[in-house]
Amino acid sequence: MNIRKLLLSAAVVVSLTACDKNSDGDAGTNPVNKGNFILTVTPTAATDVADYLLTTGSLEEGSITTQGNGVEQDGTYRYYVTHNNKFFSMLYGQGNPGAVTVYDIQDGSLNKLANTVTETVQAFAPVNDDILMMKISRNITDPTSTWYRFNTNSLTIAGQGNVNTAELADNGELAFYSWLTQVGNKVYAPFFSIKACCEAGFGTDYPDQAWVAVYNYPDMTLEKVIHDDRTSFIGRYFTDGLSVTENGDVYAYSSAIATSDGAQDFNTTKPSSVTRINAGTTEFDQSFLINFEELSGGLNITDWLYLGNNKFVVFSNTEAEKNLFSTGNIVGILDVTTQSYTKVSGMPELKDIKAITQNNYTPADGNTGYIGVNLTTGVNYVYKIDANAATATRGLKIEGGTLTAIEHLD
Amino acid sequence: MFNILKRILPLMLLLATSLSGYAQQYVLKGTVRGADNKPVESAAVQIDGQPIFASEQGLFRRDKIEKSTVQVRVEQIGYDPYSREVTLHPGENTLDIRLVQRQKNIEQVEVTGLTKVQEINRQAFTVSAIDATKLHNTTLSLSDALDRVSGVRVRETGGLGSSMNLSLNGFSGNHVRFFIDGIPMDNMGSTFQINNMPVNLAERIEVYKGVVPIWLGSDALGGAINIVTGNKARNYVDVSYSYGSFNTHRTVINAATTTKKGLTFQLSAYQNYSDNNYKVHLEAHNNRPEGYSKPAEVERFHDTYHNETVIASLGVVDKPYADRLLLGINLGKSYKEIQTGARMESVFGAWHRRGNLVMPSLKYSKNDLIKGLDVVLNANLNLGSERNIDTVNRRYDWFGDTGARLPETSGERGAQSMYKYRNNEALVTANFNYSIGEKQTITVNNVFNNFDRKGEDPLNPLNNEYELAKTTRKNVLGLGYQYQVSDLWSISVFGKYIVQNNLNGDDASSSAKKLGWGTAGTYFVSDALQLKGSYELTNRMATPYEMFGDVENQSANPGLRPETSNNFNVGINYNFSAGQGHEFDLTAGAIYRYAKDFIYQRLEANQGRYVADNRDGVRTFGGDIELRYHYGRWLSAGTSWTYQYLQNMQEFDEGFTNVSPVYKDQMPNIPYFFGNSDVQVRFDDFSGKGNALSVGYNLQYVHEFYLYWPSQGLIDKKNIPGQLSHDINALFSVADGRYNIGLEARNITNQRLYDNFSMERPGRAFYLNLRYYLNKK
Repeated sequence: MNIRKLLLSAAVVVSLTACDKNSDGDAGTNPVNKGNFILTVTPTAATDVADYLLTTGSLEEGSITTQGNGVEQDGTYRYYVTHNNKFFSMLYGQGNPGAVTVYDIQDGSLNKLANTVTETVQAFAPVNDDILMMKISRNITDPTSTWYRFNTNSLTIAGQGNVNTAELADNGELAFYSWLTQVGNKVYAPFFSIKACCEAGFGTDYPDQAWVAVYNYPDMTLEKVIHDDRTSFIGRYFTDGLSVTENGDVYAYSSAIATSDGAQDFNTTKPSSVTRINAGTTEFDQSFLINFEELSGGLNITDWLYLGNNKFVVFSNTEAEKNLFSTGNIVGILDVTTQSYTKVSGMPELKDIKAITQNNYTPADGNTGYIGVNLTTGVNYVYKIDANAATATRGLKIEGGTLTAIEHLD
Repeated sequence: MFNILKRILPLMLLLATSLSGYAQQYVLKGTVRGADNKPVESAAVQIDGQPIFASEQGLFRRDKIEKSTVQVRVEQIGYDPYSREVTLHPGENTLDIRLVQRQKNIEQVEVTGLTKVQEINRQAFTVSAIDATKLHNTTLSLSDALDRVSGVRVRETGGLGSSMNLSLNGFSGNHVRFFIDGIPMDNMGSTFQINNMPVNLAERIEVYKGVVPIWLGSDALGGAINIVTGNKARNYVDVSYSYGSFNTHRTVINAATTTKKGLTFQLSAYQNYSDNNYKVHLEAHNNRPEGYSKPAEVERFHDTYHNETVIASLGVVDKPYADRLLLGINLGKSYKEIQTGARMESVFGAWHRRGNLVMPSLKYSKNDLIKGLDVVLNANLNLGSERNIDTVNRRYDWFGDTGARLPETSGERGAQSMYKYRNNEALVTANFNYSIGEKQTITVNNVFNNFDRKGEDPLNPLNNEYELAKTTRKNVLGLGYQYQVSDLWSISVFGKYIVQNNLNGDDASSSAKKLGWGTAGTYFVSDALQLKGSYELTNRMATPYEMFGDVENQSANPGLRPETSNNFNVGINYNFSAGQGHEFDLTAGAIYRYAKDFIYQRLEANQGRYVADNRDGVRTFGGDIELRYHYGRWLSAGTSWTYQYLQNMQEFDEGFTNVSPVYKDQMPNIPYFFGNSDVQVRFDDFSGKGNALSVGYNLQYVHEFYLYWPSQGLIDKKNIPGQLSHDINALFSVADGRYNIGLEARNITNQRLYDNFSMERPGRAFYLNLRYYLNKK
């Protein structure tokens, strides 16, 4: 049957030629942008998006794009952390186990070390050789939060345990950790109180207090809970509210964003403030309080970056734009020694800023910070902050999406 | 099957003669013959306007004629029309009809009568009809059969019963609507879906690409699939059972019995069971050093699926007031274990779902209710429920229980859930066809849908989300007009008016009204060459699921706007012969689509759930081509290929002012080049008269495609690799098809197949299928 043969071979030829074409798009290395800085970018498109990891040698000049460049990550809504000279790309898994890809840097390019799986968590922080992670309950009928110690050498979960956050709050609501921070050989975990029920999930009837739970490590036994009634709670959802200075003092900020309904009904009477836990103590220093609203002329802190030498880059919002989740676009320098605040000059106009990157980089020299500034155009830049001069200088341009983290590996 | 008819015919005749004197009724039978006195297969013989189809041997027969003088007409492609008044005498009358071959084309083509499938394909719409009866000896599900149609790609996340998504010229999900015998299947629940329905349930599957005819009343955006169960024979039994790899058992029973007085009982029952414990490949992971440290092959361990369904109907046929009046009920249940989340990394060991179906229905049809008016009415109500069961607070990986405990009241996927809901969906459809003379037809179609969800979760009784009203009422009214000059040209125009009202809780209600229209035309250049063109401005309302979510993984978005698309189709169909019995049939089509306010699924801002949203635009260019060849009954072969280019036309991403980096980029995660080929060889009278052996081969190819935007990134692009799979089958049938033994081997080269990123589908698998078919009067 000649015709049959013809048909078959036609089909096979079509298949084979189709196979040959375009099957090696994923090979090769990235020759263009090499370096030890890692930028993570989420495309602006709302669908079918993956994060991209870009490497660069400089944050201060040039431009970089995700167009035909970068290491594709499986899915977006990822969290990035560096620890133990490894870069962890963690997928927030919607209640599923969270997939993690681990990289280091070889010759200025990312090198995949391992795939692994952890839990989806709401707070994580480097502690000793581990990343301590906390899966936090927001359901009043289920007051159990679970912690995991993810060992960055073995890349396995080395230990886990539970915390009853209803007992921790001890007020009929649930405690919700804003973040975890290693302080000496302990873990300080600031938390806020939430109703964890019904429509007011993140609302509270206890808006005027700050708490920090102090845990021993690695067994995570509760040592004590530090209270302060001069401010509302420390930090905010998924945001670190504590910073440890070179001498071991712990500074804390409160955004003053407690609400009754978990939305916009702010019910705290306290101003956005900065407080301190002195080195070697487990109490707030009652003699230290910066009323940031007063100092800045009405702003509230949404996040900060500690540069060293008691200086912070502070991201803040006006009273009118106060909200629970987004990082403020107003950038200034707070010196906790002199208790002075200065807005930096050289930033784009506020109306042009879409979002400030939450995960920024500092060499911790007491003066320099590199922050991501995402513009409404969709084109984004790294700005170099000079704390002493209170200036921001436009540096590396990023095209293709929103800059979500600036990390560095040796 | 017609062979059986041949055997039984003498019996039928005997029965009929013995009964014929009983009432003042007449019987007319005979043979339709054409050139060289050869029988004309499947000719439509109209006796006073009532068509009956002649058999393969050209035999026809009508009982219970109540008049002594009837008009007999036969219109057959390739022949001059035949018309004659016949005077009947009581009892049996024989009429041999000789058709005169039309003069033109007489030397070019040997024209045979059209099968129903061919007839469907000759419509002005771009449509592919599959003769499902040819697949009745296989273990294919309806979705497997559809996967072989050009322009169609069925994507599945795993084995039997896994969730599937059919894409038709790039449109998928709710953009494509499913019908069973013209009744929308929109929400018949998880128990009654095309990937768990055996192909034996269908006589024919019609795939309308793009423009959808008016009588399929629904708001499809990108095409429709109509599964025709047909009336088949009046008395028959069809039983099949198959067993195969992964402990897969399937049983299908179809039977009908009809008394002389027209009382009929029809029963379809089917069952599917599979452990789906096929092997999947794992990348090296660090979590369980003993198992994950090297790439590994493991069996799926929590993927059992089974469903059982009974469809029964009781009623009357061939009465003066109804050709068919049936009261029916669909009963069914399904059980599905969920092995993974959206990625292989998320492994579950206890989470599962259950669904059940309780659906009473009413079907009525009558042709020539008054002269020229055909009426079809349908109604059904789905009282079934769906339940999500996630109550085990343990963490599993590919090696089973990890020993890790989740919080006391947690399930594997969040808070423990036993949420159960009923959607109380009611459907009423009505179709009126009025013929004015032989050339003009007016069609009025109306479909009304009601959705009223009630749900509860005994584990979370306080969750007031379950208490909120969630209702939708949708009405689709269509009006169409067709002018047809038989075998030469036809044109139709139609309009659709859709109204939908939604209520979500006390605060969010919305309504939408949309008017759409379309036209379709066809022209026969010759009997062998047909040209087609169609256009539709089509609208689709958001479904209740898209608006109200499913209270699990899909969030509500009551503000969704209806989506709209401009669909253009052109097509050509050409039959030619290479002489000496080598017959070819070539079908080719091209499409253009521009969809606005396109509804798509995106992750919510906190990525906890999916939510449906509108996107500015998606543009599609595409084409498909299919070539079939046959040489007598002995050999048939075919190949079909589809290419489609879907382009993102959203110029600005929400919240940004510069042109999007992916504007005009190719839409990711959509297969864009694929095809299949098949060869079937049949040996009649193999090892004995009335026995037949057929052997077949099927190839499927899907070109590599992008999971994420093609223009973005360079390293580790998560592309879904190109795939080539081969299936072979052999069928031995005995006693003119009464007993059948089939053997199938799927994916014989054991290629790793993926439909979705990293989600592996089964490797090599074998199935044995036994079938018994008996058709008698």
